[in-house]
Amino acid sequence: MADAHAKNHDYHIVDPSPWPFVGSLTAFIMAVGAIMSMKGLAIGGLKAGPVLFGLGLLGVLYTMAAWWSDVIKEAQVRGDHTRVVQMHHRYGMIMFIASEVMFFVAWFWAFFDSSIYADEAKSFLRFEFTGGHWPPHGVEVLDPWHFPLINTLLLLTSSTTVTWAHHALLHNDRDGVKQALWLTVILAVCFTGVQAYEYTHAAFGFAGNIYGATFFMATGFHGFHVIVGTIFLAVCLLRVYNGDFTPKQHLGFEFAAWYWHFVDVVWMFLFVSIYLWGSHWGAAALPH
Amino acid sequence: MANAAADHAHGHDAHADHPTGWRRWVMSTNHKDIGTMYLIFAIAAGLVGGFLSIMMRLELAEPGLQYFSNPQTYNVFVTGHGLIMVFFVVMPAVIGGYGNWFVPLMIGAPDMAFPRMNNISFWLLPASLSLLLISLFVEGAPGSNGFGGGWTVYPPLSVAGHPGPALDFGILSLHLAGASSILGAINFITTILNMRAPGMTMHKMPLFAWALLVTAFLLLLSLPVLAGAITMLLTDRNFGTSFFDPTNGGDPILYQHLFWFFGHPEVYIMILPGFGIVSHIISTFSKKPIFGYLGMAYAMVAIGAVGFIVWAHHMYTAGLALNTQRYFVFATMVIAVPTGVKIFSWIATMWGGSIRFSAAMHWAVGFIFLFTVGGVTGVVLSNAGLDRNLHNTYYVVAHFHYVLSLGAVFSIFAAWYYWFPKMSGRIIPEAIGKLHFWVAFIGANVLFFPMHFTGLAGMPRHYVDYPEAFAGWNKISSIGSYIFAFGLLIFFYGIFKAFTSPVRAANSPWGEGATTLEWTLTSPPPYHQFETLPRISGGDH
Amino acid sequence: MIRWRNGAAALAALTAGLASEAFAGTGQPSPWQVGMQTPVTESAIFLNAMHDGVNIVIALISLFVLALLIIVIVRFNEKSNPVPSRTTHHTGLEIAWTLIPALILVGISIPSFRLLKMQVELPKADITVKAVGHQWYWSYEYPQDQGGGFGYDSYMLDPEGAKKANQPNLLAVDNELVLPAGKTVVVQVVGQDVIHNFAIPSFGVRMDAVPGRLNQTWFKTDVEGLYYGQCSRLCGANHAFMPIAVRIVSPEKYAAWLVDAKKKYAENDAKPVQVAAE
Ligand code: HEA
Ligand code: HEA
Ligand code: CUA
Ligand SMILES: [Cu+2]
Repeated sequence: MADAHAKNHDYHIVDPSPWPFVGSLTAFIMAVGAIMSMKGLAIGGLKAGPVLFGLGLLGVLYTMAAWWSDVIKEAQVRGDHTRVVQMHHRYGMIMFIASEVMFFVAWFWAFFDSSIYADEAKSFLRFEFTGGHWPPHGVEVLDPWHFPLINTLLLLTSSTTVTWAHHALLHNDRDGVKQALWLTVILAVCFTGVQAYEYTHAAFGFAGNIYGATFFMATGFHGFHVIVGTIFLAVCLLRVYNGDFTPKQHLGFEFAAWYWHFVDVVWMFLFVSIYLWGSHWGAAALPH
Repeated sequence: MANAAADHAHGHDAHADHPTGWRRWVMSTNHKDIGTMYLIFAIAAGLVGGFLSIMMRLELAEPGLQYFSNPQTYNVFVTGHGLIMVFFVVMPAVIGGYGNWFVPLMIGAPDMAFPRMNNISFWLLPASLSLLLISLFVEGAPGSNGFGGGWTVYPPLSVAGHPGPALDFGILSLHLAGASSILGAINFITTILNMRAPGMTMHKMPLFAWALLVTAFLLLLSLPVLAGAITMLLTDRNFGTSFFDPTNGGDPILYQHLFWFFGHPEVYIMILPGFGIVSHIISTFSKKPIFGYLGMAYAMVAIGAVGFIVWAHHMYTAGLALNTQRYFVFATMVIAVPTGVKIFSWIATMWGGSIRFSAAMHWAVGFIFLFTVGGVTGVVLSNAGLDRNLHNTYYVVAHFHYVLSLGAVFSIFAAWYYWFPKMSGRIIPEAIGKLHFWVAFIGANVLFFPMHFTGLAGMPRHYVDYPEAFAGWNKISSIGSYIFAFGLLIFFYGIFKAFTSPVRAANSPWGEGATTLEWTLTSPPPYHQFETLPRISGGDH
Repeated sequence: MIRWRNGAAALAALTAGLASEAFAGTGQPSPWQVGMQTPVTESAIFLNAMHDGVNIVIALISLFVLALLIIVIVRFNEKSNPVPSRTTHHTGLEIAWTLIPALILVGISIPSFRLLKMQVELPKADITVKAVGHQWYWSYEYPQDQGGGFGYDSYMLDPEGAKKANQPNLLAVDNELVLPAGKTVVVQVVGQDVIHNFAIPSFGVRMDAVPGRLNQTWFKTDVEGLYYGQCSRLCGANHAFMPIAVRIVSPEKYAAWLVDAKKKYAENDAKPVQVAAE
């Protein structure tokens, strides 16, 4: 069969790669390190947790960088990304975002379970804690019309700038792409900055109360996605400077944009439910 | 490495994609090699999970404490058994193993859509299983090793009850396994939607591919919710949050909702590929096309969809409101209808056929009957009123082993005897496969049928010891488990015979009834199949 | 066809017969028992009756599938039927095997919903007691306003103790939950540390004992006797060793017991049962 070895299709038969194995191994090391750190465990008297975790994390990050570099090379240099392969990637990205949505479903479920049923008498300990309303008594919530509103505007604006970048790319206006992407990244960084500032000034913590737990888990996980999205956009910006992307083929950019819109939409849900409805403005006024 | 290959032009030459030695496996991007690794992994994990269960049965053979002087260790064994069988035996076998091998072959694709991602889906599993195995040997509950809170990992037992690191290993193990499965699901969905050979419409696609498509959607949409739930457990355990701690406003029942929102689709994840496998075997050996193809495909879609809205039938005794329970009773019962369509369509496929009772066919027919037995007890359990006396008794254990150990596992063995010649190019003597079947059939029924009785009589699950009155049936169960396990020796003997005999498998050893594309290839198939895509003619079903 | 139908009916009768009271224990399991424990409350009697019915239905369905498989095996093997047909559709059949199961399920759901309502809707209580699950024992509390105002712990007896008390090992306890016959008893079930489950098969009662959550269930029986149950939620090492024993006595005896118990458990100084505002 080796003789009649001609590929007559447009699929991408990927070369063998070390990254899946290296990635799994380093993820394993990272997991062990994380547990040892959390539990203060030692091997042979040595509290190696943080070191293992750090090494594992570096390995995972290195794997990602190397893996995606290979992908970019395959796209840009080798031309492996035929139309059908591009289609694969689109499907893949959509599915990935769908799974991320379900991740957020878990945080929202936790939030609504505790906020809507804060007055359920049957759950007497929780009732005692919340006082039968949401936010729980004693919790000083953030004013949704301050920083959260600013953040909403920041993200909405960044959504438009990323669309601007896309249009510029389609019209091969590379300066426009750079401007728009720079703006997007700056807005994104501002968002993270504002969020970090707000976190440090919140009157409640992650630990010890359900309000803080649901708040920080949902917004924190979102914040993590903002950071990932920012890096994704920044990589695209770098690639624009490197001369990557054409008006016809720029999947990497498109995916960054999709991801960014996803992050934006999640924020809208967070803003409306956790910040607005979940503050005194909303849930507490529910007719019970 | 990829860099080295970069200077090759588009159509690279032969040696570049024929890696040899350890590189072929560790760095694999070949769906068949990855499938093989999954299968070997599942068999190895099956031995571990089986070992744990035999230890449990040895303990339960008689009242009193025989082997587990620390009852908590028994709980650890049960938990490990459940988790390993679910995440490291059945899922890797049917999805990673057979799915990887045969979805591309059946739809006429040269490989999976994302071959490199396919490999990380596999390699995350040994990492994940290692974490789970480490968990068995580090402290969980004060003074004993391992996590013993059941595979459902309910808080507060999994938070306050197990302060040691054992469960943290367990949680991160599930995170890795979950990531593996989500990536795998993305891969299958993309492959099936996007890589069917020219002319292979969705309505001509083999049912196994349909089964994996539905399974992949269930994985994609349910696993992240589990990941969220166990992440909250992790922060409750280590960072002082109170998602599930009522003293600080949390709710233990919330965890149960989140877990079962995943957990129920999960049980269909384990059985749907089996449905696909059995369809092909039944059709092949009856020498008839599958009866009611479209009904079969859409029944699976229906089972998958409804499977997402029935989760709280696992929580009937949690104190849910009357109307909530009513709804879940109703929704759960609905699933029996599409499942019935499948059972009867299989029988109708055989009806009028000219059936050859090969080893694989033995397992497939056995599957139909035993799965029915497991399914109908599910319908009993779905009635919250009846579940009141059955929840957390051995009746439930009997139910789910009939659908899992006699359903899913029988489908795994059916597929093994059906596809082994294709995968290896070698032949397991049919007599061995049939003997294995009869030993397993008898063993499994002796093992699990009496559990209905002890369950009805009220014997609770997760019990290391039980009142004298339950001794009789438990003894029988344990004897059954030894018989079932003995069947594994026959299984391995069959593999040994296959690899030591000079006989080679034909390309289509099962004759004219085998109509799917994998049988048009050599046995084993070439390293890269369908370099020229096959063209599928003929109309839709 | 006729022949297998008869067989199926016979087998179903056999299962139903096996599940009947002859083999069942009252308040506890008995050796080689194959059915539920003898029910002594209205809802448990209903539960058992419904189970007997549904059991026949599912047995018939399983046997029907088995019978079809046997027919297929006998009639349509390679030898008896060398030339396969090509039939892949039969609209009538397909409608039938969708509709008939659906109707069967509707049939099952009618008693099912009645039973569920009976179990979940709480009647007015004559007596309210509280059962608290701990790692690994139960404690019971009797409210003040019903002549109680005390609480006590209930531990499993060790094998010796059980033998001395002439009670089954792993089921016998030191301090039973004592309640009168003929009275509606509402049990408030709570977990102290982790989730436990308060289950008494003969009463058709099973309720999770969740920390921070006040679950309620109820029963009423006229049959005096000793009824055992076992913790039915994995709760840690000694999950198998925290049985429940309820002694149902005549109202007179109960009144007498209350007086004694009040003295006996006085030093326990239990908190009065608190019912959260509903
Ligand atoms: C492969 C896995 C699998 C499958 C397919 C199923 C299928 C079903 N299961 Fe099962 N189940 C489990 C695995 C599975 N289950 C596990 C692991 C648990 C325990 C988890 C734990 O607590 O650890 C469990 C527990 C479980 C419970 C909770 C019990 C309890 O804890 O108290 C319930 C309750 O409703 C239930 C119901 C059902 C139903 C209605 C089906 C239906 O899908 C079955 C449908 C099939 C049929 C009905 C047979 C064929 C149909 C016909 C021949 C048509 C005619 C039939 C009729 C009219 C009835 N299951
Ligand atoms: C697929 C799932 C699966 C399988 C196959 C089994 C198989 C067996 N199980 Fe089960 N079991 C569970 C899933 C499974 N189990 C779950 C989820 C629980 C609940 C856990 C919990 O509550 O936390 C449970 C609980 C459970 C209990 C209840 C314990 C308790 O509550 O105290 C018992 C008791 O007897 C038991 C016994 C057995 C036995 C003797 C087998 C025997 O059949 C095992 C014999 C071994 C084999 C037959 C090996 C099989 C090998 C393969 C499948 C590999 C083949 C692969 C290829 C060919 C590629 N199991
Ligand atoms: Cu208490 Cu189980
Ligand atoms: Cu379920």
